[in-house]
Amino acid sequence: MKLWSKLMCYCRSRSPWIFHMNSGSCNGCDIEIVASLSPRYDAEQLGVRLEGSPRHADILCVTGPVTHNAVQAIKTVYGQVYGPKAVVAIGSCPATTNVFIDSRTLAGPLHKHIPVDVFVPGCPPRPDAIVLGIAKAAQILAARGSKPLVAAAEPEIVGDPGENCVSCACSSSEVQA
Amino acid sequence: MMTPEIWGSLTTALARLLIFPGLLFAVPAAWFFLWVERKAVARMQGRIGPPFMQPFYDFIKLLGKDTPQRTGVGGMLMKAWPLIAVSAAAGAVGLLPVLPASGGFQGDLILLLALLELPSMCIIAAGFSSRSIFGEIGSSREAVLSVSYNVVFLLAIISIAASQHTFSLSALAQLPASPLRWLGIAAILVCLPAKLHLNPFSLPNAEQEIYSGPMVEYAGPELAMWELSHGLEWVAATGLVATLIVPAFTLWWIAALVFVALSFVIVLLLSVTAAATARLQIDTTVRFYWQCTIIFAVLAVASALFMRLKA
Amino acid sequence: MNILTMLWKNLWGGSRTMLFPARPIVSERYRGLVRFDPALCSGCAICRMRCTARAIEFKAGKGEFTWSYEPGQCTFCGRCVEGCKEHALSQDSECPPIYTTPGELKKSYTIARKQTVKPAVVPATAAVAGQIEQAANPATGGAQ
Repeated sequence: MKLWSKLMCYCRSRSPWIFHMNSGSCNGCDIEIVASLSPRYDAEQLGVRLEGSPRHADILCVTGPVTHNAVQAIKTVYGQVYGPKAVVAIGSCPATTNVFIDSRTLAGPLHKHIPVDVFVPGCPPRPDAIVLGIAKAAQILAARGSKPLVAAAEPEIVGDPGENCVSCACSSSEVQA
Repeated sequence: MMTPEIWGSLTTALARLLIFPGLLFAVPAAWFFLWVERKAVARMQGRIGPPFMQPFYDFIKLLGKDTPQRTGVGGMLMKAWPLIAVSAAAGAVGLLPVLPASGGFQGDLILLLALLELPSMCIIAAGFSSRSIFGEIGSSREAVLSVSYNVVFLLAIISIAASQHTFSLSALAQLPASPLRWLGIAAILVCLPAKLHLNPFSLPNAEQEIYSGPMVEYAGPELAMWELSHGLEWVAATGLVATLIVPAFTLWWIAALVFVALSFVIVLLLSVTAAATARLQIDTTVRFYWQCTIIFAVLAVASALFMRLKA
Repeated sequence: MNILTMLWKNLWGGSRTMLFPARPIVSERYRGLVRFDPALCSGCAICRMRCTARAIEFKAGKGEFTWSYEPGQCTFCGRCVEGCKEHALSQDSECPPIYTTPGELKKSYTIARKQTVKPAVVPATAAVAGQIEQAANPATGGAQ
């Protein structure tokens, strides 16, 4: 039903639930994620909820350059996130391993292991940049529709609307408070 | 053998379960109360909080996520718990004696208390049947919490009912005001944060500590059902206190309006408590209910016995 | 009771939240994106040497060089800005933008090397005479 798909697309962009995972970061970006839920930047005005279990979340927020110890954990957690999902790489470390570029304890940037949708650069990124990144991931999620749960490390074309997407107004980033 | 009386009471029962205060009213009211709690807590913390339709968006989004594959008897059980919780909470809301001429039967108070207890039982069972260690920890905490507040809750309600020699909800709702009734209402209000998993007694669903506790393995439409049962529990619990407080009105729409308004006030009160306190540990919680508030229940039972002996 | 008065004041005092697309103004000393002015660059590659994260790449060619900067790799420490003698690099008070493809933000510049002024060519005889004169007179400076 077209109406149901349109409603689903709209609701997916308005209710992004995030799960935060640290893959060896210095904790600077993690602190800024917590700051983005604080009163000044308030990610909850977009409907963002920090969930305790990856099975509840839609968006996986990963910080840290991916260390060897963390690769399997990241892939497992990515597989545990259900349904239409998106990944946000927060900070310069998961995008490009930043200053740790020659380290022999790292297993490379994040997009080598799981498909990443949004990169939020910065060291650490400002909390308003993090909120902007989550909002962009929510729009990508809404346009993506639902694909069956497949194994990780499959390169996905970003921004490609799934078959279910009827073009709704979900690309506008206005919030009614 | 459908005599007109049976037919009439059947339609009344169906109307109470499905229309008011049943599903058609209770589900939007549940979403409204959930939003009020989140918005009030956000405003009191100095931030904006979610927009008005947020619980509705969450519900629809969860319905659209992938369903987990569950196999075997354990899987069937896991799928069943949220449905049992939603039906029990909806049934509890349907039993509330809001309208003056809504009928009811002797003993529906006991049925209401049992139905109000079922969602907690389902959470406990769900945590254990998910075979995850976080689920087990969360469920055992929920079980201890349930044992601790139920002592006060049940003693308070039963003493109000027993003092008037009645176990029928509609008769309870039309009781004259008495100090015993206010004592019982105060005791029930103290138990409500624990029943609804609010701060300071929100231990079972400690998000970051035990990875959502009993709900850790649930996703998609099942999680939508859990959220809905939580919202319906809000409506049922606050509605119970509201029907005990509100005096009897003859006009049905005044009774309905006052019921909704009083429930809203109780929701605000619970939000203030949730925003002002932090989460207590399990031993502090049990000590609070068994040492501090037991005095309410003891007083309620004592005055109930006194009133029965006097009458 | 303190907490209840605080909650009351928060409820009526309004929220301190910035409504979503609004972003706060950062201070002047904020270390943001690195800005490059190709007109001032002399191609010394000190910035590439000082960069901690290998965000700056420098490739020398014949008569020209290529300088590139990748904001996704950068850690915004400011060592390149401090080390540039020509003041061709400066740090903005602008946060790097979010992007969706790796390597999307990388900017490369190919700059022709500036022609340096060569010293004037002196005729050979005058140079030799000047050298003999200088060698005979040790009081004058001579080559240092």
